[in-house]
Amino acid sequence: MNKLKLDRITHSYSGKKILDNLSLEILEGEIVCLIGESGTGKTTLLRIIAGLERQEGGSVLLDNEIISNQSSHLETHKRNIGLVLQERALFPHLNVLENIIFGMDGTKEEKINRCDELLSLFKILKYKNSFPHSLSGGEQQRVALARALAPNPKIILMDEPFNGLDRALKFSLRIDTKKILKQNNTTALIVSHDFNDGLTCADKLAIVSEGRITQIGKPKDVVLNPLNKDIKKQFICETGDMLYWKSVIESETT
Amino acid sequence: MKSIIEKTLEKLPILFFTFISLIFLTPIILILTSLFQGYSDSWQHLFQTVLAEYLTNTTILVAGVSIGVFVLGVSSAWIVTTCDFKGKKIFKWALILPLAIPPYIMAYAFTGLFDSGGTMNNVVNSIFNIDENYNFFPSVRNLGGAITIFSFTLYPYVYLIAQTAFTNQSRDVFDIARTLGLSKKSTFYKLALPLARPSIIAGLMIVAMETISDFGAVEHFAIPTFTSGIFRTWFGMNDIVTAKQLAAVLFIFFLSFLLIEKYSRKKIQFNLSLTTNRELVPIKLYGLKSLLATIFCSIPILIGFLIPITQLLYWTISFNLEYFDLNFVYSAINTISLALISGIFCVSVSIIVNYLLRMKENRPLSLINKAISSGYGIPGVVLALGVLDLFSLINIFTDTMLIGSVFGLILIYSIKFYALPNSSIESGFRKINKSVDDAALSLGSTKLNLLKRIHLPMLKNSSLIALLLISIEVIKELPATLILRPFNFDTLSVSAYMFASDERMVEAAAPSIAIVIVSLIPILLLIKILDRNKNE
Repeated sequence: MNKLKLDRITHSYSGKKILDNLSLEILEGEIVCLIGESGTGKTTLLRIIAGLERQEGGSVLLDNEIISNQSSHLETHKRNIGLVLQERALFPHLNVLENIIFGMDGTKEEKINRCDELLSLFKILKYKNSFPHSLSGGEQQRVALARALAPNPKIILMDEPFNGLDRALKFSLRIDTKKILKQNNTTALIVSHDFNDGLTCADKLAIVSEGRITQIGKPKDVVLNPLNKDIKKQFICETGDMLYWKSVIESETT
Repeated sequence: MKSIIEKTLEKLPILFFTFISLIFLTPIILILTSLFQGYSDSWQHLFQTVLAEYLTNTTILVAGVSIGVFVLGVSSAWIVTTCDFKGKKIFKWALILPLAIPPYIMAYAFTGLFDSGGTMNNVVNSIFNIDENYNFFPSVRNLGGAITIFSFTLYPYVYLIAQTAFTNQSRDVFDIARTLGLSKKSTFYKLALPLARPSIIAGLMIVAMETISDFGAVEHFAIPTFTSGIFRTWFGMNDIVTAKQLAAVLFIFFLSFLLIEKYSRKKIQFNLSLTTNRELVPIKLYGLKSLLATIFCSIPILIGFLIPITQLLYWTISFNLEYFDLNFVYSAINTISLALISGIFCVSVSIIVNYLLRMKENRPLSLINKAISSGYGIPGVVLALGVLDLFSLINIFTDTMLIGSVFGLILIYSIKFYALPNSSIESGFRKINKSVDDAALSLGSTKLNLLKRIHLPMLKNSSLIALLLISIEVIKELPATLILRPFNFDTLSVSAYMFASDERMVEAAAPSIAIVIVSLIPILLLIKILDRNKNE
């Protein structure tokens, strides 16, 4: 069953077309990684899905219901969509616990239990009462992920979630993220310029170029059979490490 | 081996810092030590008669003004930062204009407008053909009137600080909050306000200090407050020790408030350094919403600037153009000179002090720097008492008479307003990456050359902002000037006060309008620099 459907999304900035009839379907529980170079409209697409911007044309459907098209637009806070940004954007005046329960409903006890559960999953339970500024970049990103997952969103959107972290941290966080998303059966759309994110985390890779999706498929298929030279070149530039090949193969077999 | 001269030269900045700290801190310490002197019968008298009234009035005044400036300053800052509406560009800077009008001048204008037979009552009576003795508008010579005039003249402090805080808030944080279920309206209460809390509190503290320090407006409205009480105890009861003790209590009260606020924040930080801090994108308002935003932003400018200016101009042009004679020129020159000399002195001191702190991080030095910045929290009249004591001490030890000298005025302005240039220079230094220093030193630059060739050019804007900020304050300052000025030495504020204290409001208008015009020059320059900095 489709969780998210983007139907011919079109959008432009100052007369320049950023998204050009882009269509994409994501199944329930599926993790899709949208790969593309900077300025290809990936972030704009996430903002449109989250309702932070309104597309010029096309429709966004969540659970087969239209949440945004030319005639209707469901406001962001009513969509129950999780968002994780490269900048983490943690609330600096709230501690980790308060950050995580910020968007949750329920009794205080329920919120705290859910928070503990997520912090344990992300291996950061000991930082429950810490403030964001005292955490490292990797720990902050784990809090940001936990915060987005806390209200059980219908889908989670991640914008370059592993950027700015060192290589080893990126690797472990990718693995943990995939594990937790799969454990919770959470549907996710990750946008990144880094093939490695997609190879490690995603069930499907979608290549975006000039405002539309040019190739979509399982990571192995996309990597082994790139549709054009550009995709091949980009892939070779950004991976070069057999470690990732190993993870691709492992992800296919698990 | 370093020669003795070289060693002395190296220690020169520290010696300078020690000397300045002594000069700046002695008046404050002298006021505080008055608490350990004997308590006269005046205390008994004050307790039994007016102390409760002083306290009640001051508390109501500060609380009312805080609410007033919070509503005016924070909401106008939020509207111009997050909304796009007709006239926004003009409002952005015009909302700062009431800063040019000191509360006592506003008080003079308001009495002229709303007193019995005042302009506004006359206008209403003539329009509706009512008996000329009928007062449509209520009297402003009361606490409500004082709260109104303070709110409309002091809100720009909160507006300026809150606007900067809102502008620096990251769009990402708001986007995330929206995805977590917060509506656009709730983001203001649940996120923008708590995040801007330290800035808003800082603005409110400045306003509270200005309100408590005021003498001219409350005196004009005949409202007994703590500061006017200190004046009366000193001049009316001729009891300088009790006046100082009252001043010390006021200072301790203020300091406690600052510490409680600081403690309540504990280890919370209100911003995280993001590599790309995306600014909030203003929402375009149309139709009625745009009109309401325009009206809301017009009200503070109208009441806090245009109406009082019109009244003062009307009085000046109709009745008192002859004020602008040679005496006026002298008063204006005195005012501007004092502002510039105090400004240059304070900026120079703050550059040297902050340079020393940058070169050698030293906790005691940093604490002393904070202590010498605390003068801003002390009412001018209180500081004047401390400075008089200091001058008496200097007189005893050196036989030098400094009371009633221009030097005394410059010293008191520097002690009172040092916090302004210090914060500007401090943040200017913070913006210069320390690797710049390392690079210059590794290229063979001496420490003095580093200051001269690298820091000073890079601090040009901060220094100019600091100079303008202190100038605005000195131009408007009244109580300390009134007490410490040399004989026959008038400034514009003193001239205005002299006329107003004799209820010669029409004559007070000319020096008042001159103060506003002279204050407007640094304010407009400040707006231009801040705007240019932002665009860069």
